Amino acid sequence: MSSTAMKKKVLLMGKSGSGKTSMRSIIFANYIARDTRRLGATIDVEHSHVRFLGNLVLNLWDCGGQDTFMENYFTSQRDNIFRNVEVLIYVFDVESRELEKDMHYYQSCLEAILQNSPDAKVFCLVHKMDLVQEDQRDLIFKEREEDLKRLSRPLACTCFRTSIWDETLYKAWSSIVYQLIPNVQQLETNLRNFAQIIEADEVLLFERATFLVISHYQCKEQRDAHRFEKISNIIKQFKLSCSKLAASFQSMEVRNSNFAAFIDVFTSNTYVMVIMSDPSIRKCPTEQKHIHTGRTALITTRLFVCFFLFQHLQQLSSTSVMLGNTLRSWSGWTAPSTACTCECASSLPPPPPPRIPPSANQSTARRRHVADSQLQ
Amino acid sequence: MATRIECIFFSEFHPTLGPKITYQVPEEYISRELFDTVQVYIITKPELQNKLITVTAMDKKLIGCPVCIEHKKYSRNALLFNLGFVCDAHTNTCALEPIVKKLSGYLTTLELESGFISNEESKQKLLPIMSTLLEDLNATGACTLPIDDSNTIHLKLIQLRRDPPIVQEYDVPVFAECKDLYIKSQWDLTTQQILPYIDGFRHIQKISAEADVELNLVRIAVQNLLQVLIYFGVFYHFFQYSNVYCTTPKVQSLIDDKSIQEECLGYVTKQGQKRASLRDVFQLYCGLSPGTTMRDLCSRYSQQLQRVDERRLIQFGLMKCLIRRLQKYPVKVARDERSRLPRLYTGSHSYDEICCKTGISYQELDERLENDPNIVICWK
Repeated sequence: MSSTAMKKKVLLMGKSGSGKTSMRSIIFANYIARDTRRLGATIDVEHSHVRFLGNLVLNLWDCGGQDTFMENYFTSQRDNIFRNVEVLIYVFDVESRELEKDMHYYQSCLEAILQNSPDAKVFCLVHKMDLVQEDQRDLIFKEREEDLKRLSRPLACTCFRTSIWDETLYKAWSSIVYQLIPNVQQLETNLRNFAQIIEADEVLLFERATFLVISHYQCKEQRDAHRFEKISNIIKQFKLSCSKLAASFQSMEVRNSNFAAFIDVFTSNTYVMVIMSDPSIRKCPTEQKHIHTGRTALITTRLFVCFFLFQHLQQLSSTSVMLGNTLRSWSGWTAPSTACTCECASSLPPPPPPRIPPSANQSTARRRHVADSQLQ
Repeated sequence: MATRIECIFFSEFHPTLGPKITYQVPEEYISRELFDTVQVYIITKPELQNKLITVTAMDKKLIGCPVCIEHKKYSRNALLFNLGFVCDAHTNTCALEPIVKKLSGYLTTLELESGFISNEESKQKLLPIMSTLLEDLNATGACTLPIDDSNTIHLKLIQLRRDPPIVQEYDVPVFAECKDLYIKSQWDLTTQQILPYIDGFRHIQKISAEADVELNLVRIAVQNLLQVLIYFGVFYHFFQYSNVYCTTPKVQSLIDDKSIQEECLGYVTKQGQKRASLRDVFQLYCGLSPGTTMRDLCSRYSQQLQRVDERRLIQFGLMKCLIRRLQKYPVKVARDERSRLPRLYTGSHSYDEICCKTGISYQELDERLENDPNIVICWK
């Protein structure tokens, strides 16, 4: 692998207020959804360099969507903005009342991309889906997707429905960064080999900072096709909760009578999650070296989970319940309550006072409802 | 050259439209093209906010101060605006800068107190305010703006006459002409309070102590006076009989220039005495030389000093650069831990400065340093 970093330019565009900066803060800057409420408008283009998997650098161009800026992007700044683009992510606010105007700007972007970066991959995110009634979501998304695919020709676009309040955000961004990883095929091959050697049911590989799933292996189909992004979402939230209390999440083991799941650091830039349906797998203090890739495979290790006080434990148990539910759907088993194995070490500094819930406006209330239902 | 303001604009960040010009007088002065070119310096990213920014483009100079007020009540959590001036690109706009800064401060306060700008109705009052500003500042260089029942803004264009020197605590301000000519009421309160103490003998620190005004305020007030008044001399001068002066080549002008002669003789004559003679005064000046203290001068030339006030003699000579003062600058030449205040003994700090900064008297300092084998005294 080259020692110099590989830079990939990612354009993040869309109408003003559509949610671009919020998404970027959650995925790359450790914001939780609630924090994004405090963000101000993006003035012109905000550049950020995100280190990903060691020596891949994502050069994110978060482009403010107000009319004055958009007009500038297509005229005086055209070359500067649209050259050398690897990925264009265009964000649509599903609630927008100006569909024609949105489409007009989108098409202007595509035109500029076709002229300057014809090989760029285009992703369309239909965002703020939590504001749509649950039973309508699939339908509305399908409609939008059809329109967008049609409008985008001759360019191909991949569409996702997203919301910062659930796992759909992680699904979209996982797919996007997956396209940017240069040796991702090899990664998948190695992961498969590894999984087969240890006879795991499923193995997930996460990028360490963002917890986006970058590769996975499964030996058979499972019921919940959205389990990967749900895990991303849950673990990331938990990791952030830990760090807010000056603890750092390192690993987790969840087991019941039917399966065991292990999440731990894998390489300097990744985490791995291994699901074993052989319940007799026990803790093993040794490490096994993986023959082919030379990477260290940690089947299990002594658990060193850094959450200690009761509130933490509560959080853990709710997290493990979430995980348990997700994992249960994996296997279709109706297992009894998930036992949670963890080791507790000595005390931490006292937890901060509970946060005062923000005043609810209507859309906020709806969003909160969605978020809470996830915890059932 | 007068500073002519061509246009005053008020720009805002609109949540969906982005940066735009809400008001400008005269209308349509700033072209679409010009605004597109400079808008990123008018409604700026956070790093440039609340700073005075001057940008020149397309033969125009725009001076503004972008303001950002953060609060969750605003759409997108912040209010961004900028009230600025447009001048021709070749205009010297220094005099406008404090006004732009002041205006941004006033508008910020008005918004924080009563939502002046975010309220659409009251925002409209900006337009007549901007018209008045443009007219008055161009016509008279000053403007008084009643904003509402309780708020009035006063602005004045200060034409700077020279780079204001930094006024130090040990400087002595003096009025070169009779200070009664300056109407007291036209000055701010601080200046009014210190005016009686400006007599050419009290230095800044002393004025601060006796007038009971904070040192920094006195400094700023004197600096302000320096900028504004035509005749005003500030120089570091601590009159003591141990001071040493020497003439400069300019002393010749006392002979050559009749007007300086007149001015001098009028200034240096002792109160209640017959006018001093040029001969005496010239002799006194020429008697000043390196090594001669004022004490020496007074004893040697006691006859000439009968009608001459030696303090005013020195003052006049300094003001007109006929003479200059020789100061003692201590320089440390060897490493010696026992000496106190080593950082001041570099050859750049005069006795005056050291005394003022440390509060030691001249005699005490002199005693200390003259006896210190590691210190060399430089006269310059």
